[in-house]
Formats: sequence, structure tokens, C-alpha cells
Amino acid sequence: MAEHSNGRSPAGMWVFPQADQITAQVMERTTRRCKPHTIALVVAALLAALGVVGFLFRVAADGLDNYNAWGYYMAAFSFVFMVTSGAPLATAAFRFTKSHWRRPLSRVAELFAVVGVLNLLLFIPMVIVLPAIENPTFVPGMEGEMAARRAIWLGSSGVPFGAPALWDILGLVALAVTSMAILWLSLMPDLAQSRDRVSGFRRTIYGLLAGSWHGTKRQWIQHKAGMMLLGGFYFMMVVFVHFLIVSDFAMSLIPGWKDSILPPLYTLIAFQNALGLLLVILFILRKWGGYQEYIGISLFWSASKILLGLTLLWTYHLFAFFITFWYGRLEVEESILRYLMFESYAPVFWANVIFSFFVPFFILLWNPVRKTAWGPALAGLSALVGGFLFSIRIFVGSFNAVDFKEFPGELYSLGLTRARIQDAVIPDLWDIFMVVGIIGAAALVYLAAAKLFPVMSIWEVKEGAMYQRMGKLFRGEYMILAKPE
Amino acid sequence: MARRPILGLFRDANAAADAGDALKGAGISENDYDFLTDSPYPEGAFGEREEKHRIYVFPFIGALLGLTSGILLTSMTQFAYPLVTGGKPILSLPPMAVVTYEGTMLGAILFTVLGIMFESRLPKPKLGLYDTRITEGFIGVLVNAEEDQHNQVQELMTQAGAVEVKREN
Amino acid sequence: MQEGRILTATEVNRDLLRSILDTPRWFWPVVMALGLVVLAAAIVIGVMINRGLGITNLNRPVVWGFFITNFVFWIGISHAGVMLSAILRLAKAEWRRPATRAAEVLTIFSLMTAMTMPIIHTGRPWRIMYWAFPYDFARGIWPNIRTPLIWDPSAILTYLTSSSLFVLIALIPDFAVLRDRTTGISHQVYSMLSLGWQGNPRQWKLQIISGVLLSALILPVFVSVHSIVSWDFGMAMAVKSWHSTIFAPYFVVGAVHSGVSAVAFVLILLRKAYGWQAYIRHEHIDALGRLLVVVATGWFYFFSMEVIFGIYGREADEIAVRTLQFIQWPVSAWTMVFVITTYFIPVSIWLSRYCRRNLWIMSFACISVNIGMWLERFLIIVPGLANRQVFTFSWNMYSPSIPEIIIISATFALVAMFMLLFSRAIPLVPLYDIKEGDILKTEIQIGRRAVPAVYRED
Repeated sequence: MAEHSNGRSPAGMWVFPQADQITAQVMERTTRRCKPHTIALVVAALLAALGVVGFLFRVAADGLDNYNAWGYYMAAFSFVFMVTSGAPLATAAFRFTKSHWRRPLSRVAELFAVVGVLNLLLFIPMVIVLPAIENPTFVPGMEGEMAARRAIWLGSSGVPFGAPALWDILGLVALAVTSMAILWLSLMPDLAQSRDRVSGFRRTIYGLLAGSWHGTKRQWIQHKAGMMLLGGFYFMMVVFVHFLIVSDFAMSLIPGWKDSILPPLYTLIAFQNALGLLLVILFILRKWGGYQEYIGISLFWSASKILLGLTLLWTYHLFAFFITFWYGRLEVEESILRYLMFESYAPVFWANVIFSFFVPFFILLWNPVRKTAWGPALAGLSALVGGFLFSIRIFVGSFNAVDFKEFPGELYSLGLTRARIQDAVIPDLWDIFMVVGIIGAAALVYLAAAKLFPVMSIWEVKEGAMYQRMGKLFRGEYMILAKPE
Repeated sequence: MARRPILGLFRDANAAADAGDALKGAGISENDYDFLTDSPYPEGAFGEREEKHRIYVFPFIGALLGLTSGILLTSMTQFAYPLVTGGKPILSLPPMAVVTYEGTMLGAILFTVLGIMFESRLPKPKLGLYDTRITEGFIGVLVNAEEDQHNQVQELMTQAGAVEVKREN
Repeated sequence: MQEGRILTATEVNRDLLRSILDTPRWFWPVVMALGLVVLAAAIVIGVMINRGLGITNLNRPVVWGFFITNFVFWIGISHAGVMLSAILRLAKAEWRRPATRAAEVLTIFSLMTAMTMPIIHTGRPWRIMYWAFPYDFARGIWPNIRTPLIWDPSAILTYLTSSSLFVLIALIPDFAVLRDRTTGISHQVYSMLSLGWQGNPRQWKLQIISGVLLSALILPVFVSVHSIVSWDFGMAMAVKSWHSTIFAPYFVVGAVHSGVSAVAFVLILLRKAYGWQAYIRHEHIDALGRLLVVVATGWFYFFSMEVIFGIYGREADEIAVRTLQFIQWPVSAWTMVFVITTYFIPVSIWLSRYCRRNLWIMSFACISVNIGMWLERFLIIVPGLANRQVFTFSWNMYSPSIPEIIIISATFALVAMFMLLFSRAIPLVPLYDIKEGDILKTEIQIGRRAVPAVYRED
């Protein structure tokens, strides 16, 4: 193991683990008992149990036929969904760009695929509570109401079969399956070479999942092509499913909200959050997980530039939305701005902007801070808080834009009027239970997966050790990066 | 006695670096010799001194000035011609954002350019001792030394493999 | 991936200064021919100023036509420069090296050309001074900073200033090379331009920092420029289909798409014209092609969002515009051509490695993108303005007049002429960047294979 830096970079900038010890080290760290990890598992399980309690009480109190009461559930789901759907993409994207620094990050990101299944389960109640697209009380000639609310699902002859529930679920299934496939494919070489080092149930699972992997040239070529294809497909899918979720569960629930930038805005904050969480996890792994000689500062440095870019892009998209509505100044636009940004949800909005933009921006602006582990991780943490607030603002806002019990017709009206702007919804105890429960459940699944499988991509780190080294050029010592293709 | 420049030309970067080491060994301060090249060698390639600079201060000052002038321009023109548009207040912030932003960025960029000029000590009215072969891939080692040291410096550079050593006429 | 052998500094100088030190025989005739086209357009503009905008086919309600379309198009092309040199520089992509300068210079000239368009379009160009610059102290008339039409000049001038400075700073070391290789008057001019450049470590260090720092500072400006151009349309309520929140990023991605394609085409031309096969290699065009697949697909996503959420509102007048765009002959045919030439033809070409490495096919794909992107701007501007909706008293279409076509064609000649003339005075491939790349190249031996590698400072 060797840590490297030159005069111009901090200690531990580049780390090159010893190739022949990687498997043993990673497996030792995966299988050993770790008290904090166990405690975290227990806490997550307790939180998840609270979530179940909250859910049951919410069903008992409000039922599943009034979506108004489910705003916080949706917000928490969206938050978990943003992070877990975005994370596997980090692997795929940086594999595409052939960045060597991504290697320690890959598996940490891919493991989020396991949470994709949980997403699917969590999503089912939302599909049930979502009100119909067709207006049930509509009679032709009715004033101020439409036969169907605005949605992406309208064909020439009404709402297509199964929309939106079936198609949204299919989208989530496709995401879960693709990301699992990516994870499995990426795990295969690792499990094959480490199945002899583990015992018990791990051995059985590793043996099953590793299949007939021997690491022949042909297998490696297919492995690589498979990863590339799946990664590309996943990228397309994830952007599409974000579009489905945010337009069905947010935009279409606020009457008259026509906002073509919302899907990219949502996608961007999802990616920002995913990368932010990855940096936080990597920081923890580096600091306390015993992976210091695997995760160099250069990873944080490179990733922080991407994080800064995503932060700026998100803010830019937000401004593009705002300025267009502000200039348009239709009544519905003004009402939506008042509702989501400047009146009802004003505190959440400003907090969202502070945590999603100002804090990460002013942290990541400084190059010396970008060359630390804590700086990018702190910015990532702030982005996570911001993303959570964003989800609350968008989804709690959308789920409560009209009082569905009192005036169901309003959901199908042409636009949110100034007089009908609702107040912000404060979470009650069950909401809080559900929110912590959903996050806890996601953490539980992830932590369990990280216990079962190695959290470092062994083959990728080994490959990286082959292609990176320090070398002398005349009098200076520099990093040498090889690109085999 | 006066300090005058003396320039050694090297075909090979390693030789130039050797010359640098030899000069350092002979007690010539790091600040008194420079390596002239035709392309940016990575920092520290010749074992040369580390250059200190404050370039990063410039864009911040520029941005601040640009921001101020942007705000002044946009707010003052609105007040100077107070026409109510769309029922908005005379001084409303969103329309100011764009011009202010451009002003900020322009200020930052102009100051960065000035900063680069200043920090790289350009323009330089007199080129001084130089050889056109440097832009042909030769590496020049430009030493600023007391005149009585010149012979020693020349010796060191020739030993290190200099193709030619030039002095000011 | 690295192809091509390492060249000596002498060879690099000889090859890349060829465009300056010995003028090819075709050079002046081509410049003359382009100049004639520009001259013809200048005459037409003179006539137009004399007779008024009546000689164009602009009408009510289609008050923006070919000029504004062309304005948006050239602004779009100008986005290539920063996209390539800044993003690739920040990403430390090795293959950027031969492409940056040409891209930046293309930015400057297309930006200048773009700026002429709205000025010509006003019909009385001198009046622009009144409303674009805050100078009229005597009469108390000030630019109305609340309108995007004022944001536009502020953004474009910022962008033009900064990208010109960016190019100039990066040119100093190359001017020094020219200073050492010329005599007489040109030697004096290049001496002045090179500002006494010696090439010591301090100067180089700041040169490298300036590349990164200015890239990082220009990137936000570059995004703002086309966003603001889009807000010329997006801020308006009056024209259906323009008032869409996604316009800003949609325009930016479109601009990058057309701009990078244009750069790829320009690089192919330069390679051919000056025999730079050793510098602008197949691997570079290949990399641009792969980058373009991503950019194009991003563009297609934004395009879909724009269309989907146009229809989403189900407002009758918006549906009317979309019907005109997608269903009514002949506009629908243009839309078809636009989508196919912008996305489907080029992307299917770029997916094949063989095609990416065939310069003829690449040129075809890049031109195809730009035909499509030109049409895109036309199809955004004109059908919206045509007002074919319910309850309108003015209902019209637009087809360009001969003077408009002449002026539009001349803008292409103008950019080409400027690029050629510029290539006569400055090296369009940065010499020191190529040389640096050669210094940093190395290899790592793995088993029997030498894997190409590079030294990295950080």
C-alpha cells in the first residue's frame, strides 16, 4: 500500500493498493464484525418499524382515497428514489468517461440497486392514492372544469390503458431490474474470486451469483460490453422515469401547472443528491471504514467538480423556471410562484436554495477545500438536505394544492387561482414517522447489502492499480495514467 | 560588479535539469536562473523553484466590482426612467438579475486577464538575452549572475551538455 | 487513446505555421470569391436601408423571419468554442489539444456575424445605439433593462469580449514562435503581439492557470448567452409555443449540438486544406463524434420535453401552433426534415466507428446537423408568429425574399472568409498545446503490451 502526493497536492492524494492483497483485504473488511455497522443496522430497523406504525395510523386516519394526506410520504419516497435511482448512474457515467478515479466509488454506488426493490414496494400506496386523471364528476357544459386534468397521458381518445399507475410501476420495475443487472454483472468477478474466502450463507450466495465466471478473456470482453450497454440503457431509463414520476405526481396535481423544465430540474437535483450521498459514504468509509488506502483524495477532488457543476446547473434550471413564470405573469403562474416559492412554502423554498445551492457552491468554490475529503462530503451532505427540502416543497405542495375532500372539482380546473392558494402543510406525528421510516428502511436495505457484498469493487480497483502509478519526468514526480483504449 | 545574464542552450531537457542542479550546487540562488522552454513542462520538471502568485484574488475583486456596477446600472436606469411595467414595482429584482450577472462575469474575466498579465510580468518591453532556437525545442537556462561568475557558470553549463552558451554583447 | 508519433518541435513549427509562412495557391482566389458574396450582401443591405424593410417578406404578424433565425443559428455555432475548449480543458481530455483554437476562433467570428443580424433586421441600425447603450445623458433616455432584447447585447458583448481575450492570452506563446520565425514588418508586429514572451516557468504556469481559470469563468457566460437568446422568445406571453420554461437549456444544448458539429467540420476542412493529417487525426474526429452522440441525445430529450409540454396544456391556440408545425403541409415536411437531419441521420452515423473515422461521412453528418438546427430555429420562430389560431385577425405565413436569402448566404461567406484570413495570421492549432501533449505522453508496460499513458500534474 502506498500513499502518494507531490509538493502541490495534499497527503493521500493518490493511493495505490497492492494488487495482490486487495481481495484478501476487502473480504476481511467485509466479513469482520463491526460494531458501529451493527448499531446503524439496528437503528435503521427501528426507524423502519416506526415507519410501518406511521403508515398504519395514516391509513386508519385518512384512508387511501384522499391523496391530500400523503404528501409527506410521497416526499420521502421521492427523496429516497432520487438518491437510489441516481447513484448507479454515477458508476455508469464515469465508466463511460473511463475516469480512473471512479474505481473506489463504483460499488458503493451500484449497491443502491438493492434499494430499487424497496422503491417499488414503497411506490405501490402512491399509485393507489393518486386521483384519477378523468374527472369523475364531469358533465359536458360544466363551467371551469375539464373532462380530465392535465397529464402527459392524454391520447386522442382519452386516457390510455393503465395510465399512469401501470406505466409508472413498469418504469420503476425496469429501473430496478436494470440496476440489479448492473450490480450482478459487476459483482460477478469479485464473488468468483472471493467465494473461497468466505463461509456460511455468504459462500452459498457468492457461489450462486458468481455462476461460471472464470475470468477468461472472452468473459471480460463480454462483461465490459454488457456493462456499457446496461449503463447506457439505465441512463435513458432513469431520465425517463424521473420525467414520469415528477409529471404524474407533482405537475399534474397542481391545476394549470405547465412547466417543461420540471423533469430536468428533478433529474439534476436527483443526480446532485446521489453524488452527494456517495461522497458522504466514501468519506465515512475512508475515515472509519478502514478503506483509507483505497480511497484517495483525488476521488473527492474529481467528484467535487462534477458536484459543483450539477449544483450550478440545478440553480440555472431553477432560475429559468422562475424567470419565465415571473415574466409570463398569468394568474396561474403567479399563483404557482406564490404557492411553491414565495408565500406558502417560502421558508422551505429558501432553505432548499440555501442547502442546494449556496452552501455547496461556497464550499466547492475553493480549490484547497475541494482537495480534502471533508469539504466535498460536507457539500454533499448539504445537497442531501436541500434535496429533501426540494422533495417536500414539490410533492407536499402538489399533494395539497387543492382541498380534494371539500372541492374535488378544483383538481380538474383550468388553473390555480389566486384566491385558492392553500397554506403549507405542517407534518403531523404520523408524517414524521413515515418520513423517518422510509429513509430508515432504505438505509437498512443498503447497510444489509453492504454487509453481504464487498463495498469495494475488487476487480475495478485491481484494474486501476495496473493503469496508474507514479513516475518521474526529468526532476519531478507525477501521476501516470494509462488509457488502454 | 554588475549582474548580467548568461544563457545556455540545451537540446535535452535532462541536460538542462542537470545544469540547474549544478548551478544550485555552485551556490547560485534559485531565484537567479530560469528555464526557457517552448511549451509548458510540468511544474517541477527541472527541479526549478516554485512560483508564488496571487492570481485567484483577481477574479474575486473583478466580480465584486462588476457586481456593484451591474447593480448600479440596472437600478439607476430604472429609477431614471420610472415607467411602471405590468404592475411591478419600479425597482424589481428579477429583471436586474441578468444584466447584473453579465456585469459580474465581465468584471471577473477582465480582472483575471489583467491579473494574468500582471502576474506573468507581461508585457516585457525588452526581451533581453534570448535565442530563437528556444522555440525550436531547445531549452534555455538563463542565469543572472555576477560577471566574475560567468566563466564558472559557462563551465558548468557546458559540462552539463549545453550546445552553446551566450552572453550579452 | 493515442495515435500518431511524437513530433519534434521543429516539425510542429514547420507544419502548423504553414498556413502563415507560405500561402497556398488557392488561398487568395477563395478569399476573393467569398469577399464578392459579402460585397453583394453589403450592397443589398445598403438598398434595404435606403428602401426600408419592405423589400423583405417580413409582414404582420410574422415580424421575425430569416434574419432572426440566422441570428440564433450563428449564436448557436458560437457555442462550440467554449464548449470544447473549456469543458475539455477542465476535464483534462487529451484529445482536445488540436481542436481548441479553431473552436474559439470560430466562436468569435460567428458571434460577430450573429450580432450583425439583429442590427440589420432593425432596418435603421444606427438607432440601436439609443436603446442598447446607457449613454444618452442629455435626453434622459435609458436602456430598458427589463427587456430581454437588452439582456441580449449585454450577454453577447460579455461573451465576445471574454472569448476574444481568452484566445489572445492563449496566443501569446504562439506569437513568440512566429516572432522567432519571421523578419521585417511581420517580425515587428509579432514581436509586439508576443509582449516579450520568454517562456520561463512563471509565464508558463500562469498560461496554464489562465486556460483553466478563464475556462471556468467563461462557461457560466456561455450558458447565459444562449439562455438569454431563448428568453427573447420565452419571456413573451403573446406568441404561443414560445413561453416555455425549458427554452433556456433547450437552446443551449441545441447550440452545443450545432456548434460542436460545426467545429468537427471546420477541423476536417483545416486538415485537408493545410495538410495537418499528423495533428488533426482520426482519433480526434472520432472522439468528437462520440461526444456528439451524447450531446445530440441530450438535445433530443429537451426537444421532446418542449413538444410534450407544449401539448400538455391542451390550450387551443398552442395546439394550433403544434398542428401547424407537425401536421400541416408544408411546414410539417420541414419539421420532418429538421428532426431527421438533426438527430436520426447523424446519430446513426456517429454510432458506427467506421463512419466516425471516415471524414467524408463525418462531414456529411455535421452538415446535416447544421441544416437541421437552422430549420429548428426557423420552425420555432415562424409558426409561432404566424398566428394561425382562433380569434386572430392577422393570419399569415412567411417565405423569404431574394434580398433576405442573399444576406443570409453572405453570413456563411463572411465567417468562412474571416476564418481563412485569420488562419493567414495566426496558427489555428495551438503549437504549445501540441508540444505539451507530446512531452506528457508516455507508456506503461503491462505484460507484453505497452499501454499509452500520460503524465498528470494533478
